[in-house]
Formats: sequence, structure tokens, C-alpha cells
Amino acid sequence: MANRPVHFIWLLDCSYSMQGDKIARLNYAIREAVPEMRAVAHDNPAAQLLLRTVTFSTTAQWHHRTPVPVDDFTWQDVQVDGMTNLGEALHLVARELQSPPMPQRALKPVLALVSDGGPTDDWREGLKAVDATPWGRKAVRVAIAIGSDADRGVLQEFLGNPELQPLDANSPKQLAAAIRWASTAAVKAASQPVAGDASGTAATMVKQPYAPPVLDDDDDDDVW
Amino acid sequence: MVTLGVRRWETLADSVQGVNKRRNQDWYECRGAGTGESPLLLAVADGHGSAAHARSELGARFAVDRFMGLAEHFGRAAADCQGPGRLSRLMTYARDDFPRALVHEWRQAALGHWDRNRPVVEEASREPGTEEKVVLYGTTLIGAVLMPWLFVAWQIGDGDLAVVEHDGTLSRPLAPAEEDLGDETESLCGRDAWRSVRMHWAPVFEEARTPRLVVLSTDGLSKSFASADGYRSFVEGLAGRLAGEGGAGVREVLPRWLAEAARHSGDDTTLAAALRFARDAPEPAGAEAEAEAGGNGESTAVAAGAAEPDEPKTETETET
Repeated sequence: MANRPVHFIWLLDCSYSMQGDKIARLNYAIREAVPEMRAVAHDNPAAQLLLRTVTFSTTAQWHHRTPVPVDDFTWQDVQVDGMTNLGEALHLVARELQSPPMPQRALKPVLALVSDGGPTDDWREGLKAVDATPWGRKAVRVAIAIGSDADRGVLQEFLGNPELQPLDANSPKQLAAAIRWASTAAVKAASQPVAGDASGTAATMVKQPYAPPVLDDDDDDDVW
Repeated sequence: MVTLGVRRWETLADSVQGVNKRRNQDWYECRGAGTGESPLLLAVADGHGSAAHARSELGARFAVDRFMGLAEHFGRAAADCQGPGRLSRLMTYARDDFPRALVHEWRQAALGHWDRNRPVVEEASREPGTEEKVVLYGTTLIGAVLMPWLFVAWQIGDGDLAVVEHDGTLSRPLAPAEEDLGDETESLCGRDAWRSVRMHWAPVFEEARTPRLVVLSTDGLSKSFASADGYRSFVEGLAGRLAGEGGAGVREVLPRWLAEAARHSGDDTTLAAALRFARDAPEPAGAEAEAEAGGNGESTAVAAGAAEPDEPKTETETET
């Protein structure tokens, strides 16, 4: 017997537009979210939370290629590079959402995109590749828009559901809250049973069982 | 061919609550002897359990109860249907009319319960639509009828029906060609749910070809294994142990097995099984009394942690 894995994949924008504060906030927020993810995992002993990260800039690459159990996960800061090859990152992820290598009896995976938008490659082809995989279609998706100038349209298309909105992270506090929320609520949502319709497509009958946090854009108690 | 008044099957069943669940949302029942007069009826149901299906433990019970009633009626109809032409009509009824009747009765039960147990809300609040009410009770169901000349089973949603045939081969006749990924499943609460009911129809033209073992289980069992092979190995092991030592020993360890499965899948886990008595083997002590009582010793048992039937339910009973 085996616990059912939840594969959680971060897609992190490391392009030049993230230079400075944005990438520093991202590194801090992810590091801070790890203990919360561990707590959620411990509260759900039947689920095995496995983490991976993909960074994308001039190229896309696995920052953690092999799924890492959350208890063993450590964060090494990422640096900015050049372009914003989101499409390449989505292609990388799509290859992992096939079954195999994804086990048939897993819980829904979680795809969490953190970006300020502005992809510089054919990102829609990458998104199509994700949507074409059995697990990609079923994944719980979360998108975090960094900065008030973020291209929310790209993130909205990534979500693929008009009822969901990208989370706004216009401040370090908001980013930390959004990442914390994505790390925990999305994992819980991944194990929610959903009844399907009679067409056999298991279409969702209820709204996604999670909602983003509402935060004031208030940096008074910032950690920065 | 028909042997009336003889118990043909030994049954065993149990259910355990999933880790971190407030209550067990599965339900099951085993009833009857497997004869022409008293068909053996087995059913397991798995309430969806999420907040959107806040009354699903009751939906699971309604599903099993309504199935049992309809299956008894089906058994009476089947008693006179051994001729080829009649069997064909019975199959058409089983395939088309039975699922419609089952879904209709289940919906009536759910809506009736809603009417008797409305949540306390402000007068101005909107009355939920019919479909919204029914969704609260969402559940899966697997049910089977075993008679000397017929084995028929129905399923909607996930969970497993495993059959060890007379020659020892194992089949899963209602398994979809491709398993659902994640925790999505079809449901009795879906629109036109009767269309999603799958049926297994297996007339038994020779007694020696009757299945040895029939196992119904909720998905908490199969999802505790890393692959379908693990589940098959479990059923093969169960069949071997039952053949070796009969039901008594297995009945003792079954709760531990199910608890171990529930620990891994995280879900409520329920199994109901029927083992065919060997042709010349003596019946175990107490079997006759159980048959006379209309079911096995656990047929009226309440699944661990599940609600009492008449206990009023309110909207606040939400599992997340």
C-alpha cells in the first residue's frame, strides 16, 4: 500500500523584469511558505506532498527536477536571467503530466505560476501541451501576478477558468500571503472529491473548492 | 437446478472511517441467501464527503436502501425468467429501467429528506434549486444480485467490483476502460445519472461456473495501492485466504486490513464480499440462522461512525 502523492509544481518567472525587489520577494516568500506546506502535509497523512520547481527566463529549467518530499525540501535562491520563456517551461511541465511518469493513482497535481507576465516565446503552444495531458487538464491551477503592471491576461489564460482570478501580489506582504495560500489551500483542493456529469467527462459540477485571499495593499507591517 | 432454502454464499463486510474524517460517509449492506427465493443482495456506497456534498453520508445510505428495495423486486421478477426469451427481457429491464428507477428513488429520498430537514435560514434567503439540493447527497454506488442462475451488478462512480470466476481467474467487469484520474467521479447526483450506470450481466448456465468470490469495495481500498496490480493482488490474496480458512478468520482481520487501506488512501474504506460455499462443504455454524434473518450478521450493522437513520441532519454538518 502507498499514500497518494500530490505533485506540486512551482513555475517561477526569473526574467530580467523580475530583477531587484521582485525576485528577492519571491525567494523570501517561497522559503517562508515551506514550513506551512509541511504543516498541511502533516495534517493530511494520507497524502504525500511532493514538490518541484521550474524556473524560466532565457531558457526554462528544472530547479528541482526530481519530486522532493516536502519534509526534505530546501529552498535555494533563484537569480534573474534574460527573456521570459513561459512556453518552454509549460512544455517541460507537460512532459511530466503524462501518465507515466505521473502515477495513475495520484491526487490532482497543483500547478502554481508566479510571474509578472510578458512571455517572450510561444507560450500558448506550451499551454496547449499542458491542456493536452490527462493530468494537466485536471490540475489545480494557481496564478500569482507580481506587481501592479503584471500582464494578468496571460495568467488568466493559464488558469483556464473564468471563475478564477490570478492572485495580486503588489507588495511583499501580498506576495507572501499569496504564496502561502497557494501552497496550502491549493494542496487541500487537490484532494477534494468532485462529482462528474452524466456525459462521462467528469466535468466539475461545483465551483473550484478554493478562493483566493483578500488582502489590503498595506505594507505597514512589512518584513522588508 | 434451483436449490431453495439452502444458503449458497458466505458473506463478510466491514467499513472503516478515513483518517481526518469527521464521520464515515460509506454505507453497505448484505442480505439474502443467494437462492431462487432469497437472492443475495450486496451493495456499497461512498458519499462524496466534500463541503459541496454536505449530506453525502445520508445519500450513501439512501443509495444502498433504495438499491436493496429495487433489487428484491428484481429478484422476484427474475425468479420466473429462466427461459432465454424471458432472460432477454429481464436484461433489458436491468440495463434500462433499473437504473432509471434507482436514480428516481434515490432522488426522491434525498429531496424528501431535505424537505423534512431544512436548514435554519433567514426567510429572505433563496430556496436552493432541486439540483442544488440533490448535490448535497452525492454518492457513488455498487450493487449486485446473485441467484443460482444469474449474477447481475450495477455501478455508478468509482469503487470496484472484483469477481474471482469458477476457474480462479480474476476480473473487474465494471472497471472503466480508463480509470478516472484524481478524485473525480460520476455520481448519483449528476444530471441524467442513470445514463452513467454501468451494468454487468452474467447468466449462470451451469452451477459449476458460478463465481467463487464477488467483492464490492469503495475506492478507499483500491486507491490505497500504488497501482491496479496492487488491488488485484489484494483480491487474489483474499480469495486464497477465504478458500483456505473460510470467512471466520478473514472476518476477524478484515477491519485491520481496511484500516490500513484507509490510512494510505485517506478515504473511508468499505468492503462487502460473498464467497460461494464449496459444493459439498458443510456450512459454517450460524450461517442458517443468518440466512433466516435475511442477511449476514452484519447486514444491519451501521457503518462505523455513520449517522443513525432517523437522526435529523442540518446544513451545519459539513465535511471538508
